[in-house]
Amino acid sequence: MSVTRAWAWLIALTATSTAVAATGLSGRWLALVVLALAWAKAELILNRYLHLAQAPNIARGFALGLALFMLALTGLAVAIP
Amino acid sequence: MNAPQASVLDDLPGDLMMWVLILSELAVFGAGLLGFLAVRLTDPPGFAEAQAHLHRTGAGINTLVLVTSGWLAALALEAARAGRRTRLRALLAGAALLGGVFLFLKAQEYADLWAAGLSFDSHAFYTFHMLLTGFHAAHVLAGIVLLGLVGWLATPRAVEAGAAFWHMVDLVWVLLFPVVYLI
Repeated sequence: MSVTRAWAWLIALTATSTAVAATGLSGRWLALVVLALAWAKAELILNRYLHLAQAPNIARGFALGLALFMLALTGLAVAIP
Repeated sequence: MNAPQASVLDDLPGDLMMWVLILSELAVFGAGLLGFLAVRLTDPPGFAEAQAHLHRTGAGINTLVLVTSGWLAALALEAARAGRRTRLRALLAGAALLGGVFLFLKAQEYADLWAAGLSFDSHAFYTFHMLLTGFHAAHVLAGIVLLGLVGWLATPRAVEAGAAFWHMVDLVWVLLFPVVYLI
């Protein structure tokens, strides 16, 4: 994937996040959707802008760390009583 | 004499020290975002009310601004590798200019909060908001200076290091934006 295509995906994912928030969706469902979109954006930046896709072993390490972080964020975000 | 053993770090794109810096910054911001959501559990209505005073649309626009700026920096690296100095400098100037747009929009949000009598110690939300976004804005400012420096040097290695720092700033924002502004 070229950096230009990665940029187009980032724009689309950002627009989707803002649109979802503007629909009035709130609470746990909003958190789940926008954090999933942020996760996808972070993977794109790591792999395409920072070129980790060229180093698959290192990319897998980053992907695991990012996954654990996003799961922790999501857990805290949906834990609101 | 034995040949040096290959390391997985040999595959790392760019300088190892830049990646150490990137990981350090991600750890700091990551801890801040986890702390923000943990403290939010103690006062969800207060956090929601405080969040309503932020410039949510401006922050969304700033996300578009930063990812576009990151794209220009990535294209600048391609230009540097192709030996196209004029193009790389124009692309880095565009990336830095968008960094300036980001800071301008961010300053407007701070000014409006200040005018509404909301500051660092008004609520725990604002303490986290100003620490996280202020520290991030400081990195944007440093990144603009760095882009200027690597544009002046105009070598592929320098541009790669400057672009990597800029992408880290971008990466932090795409994680910070939904946590602080949307959810």
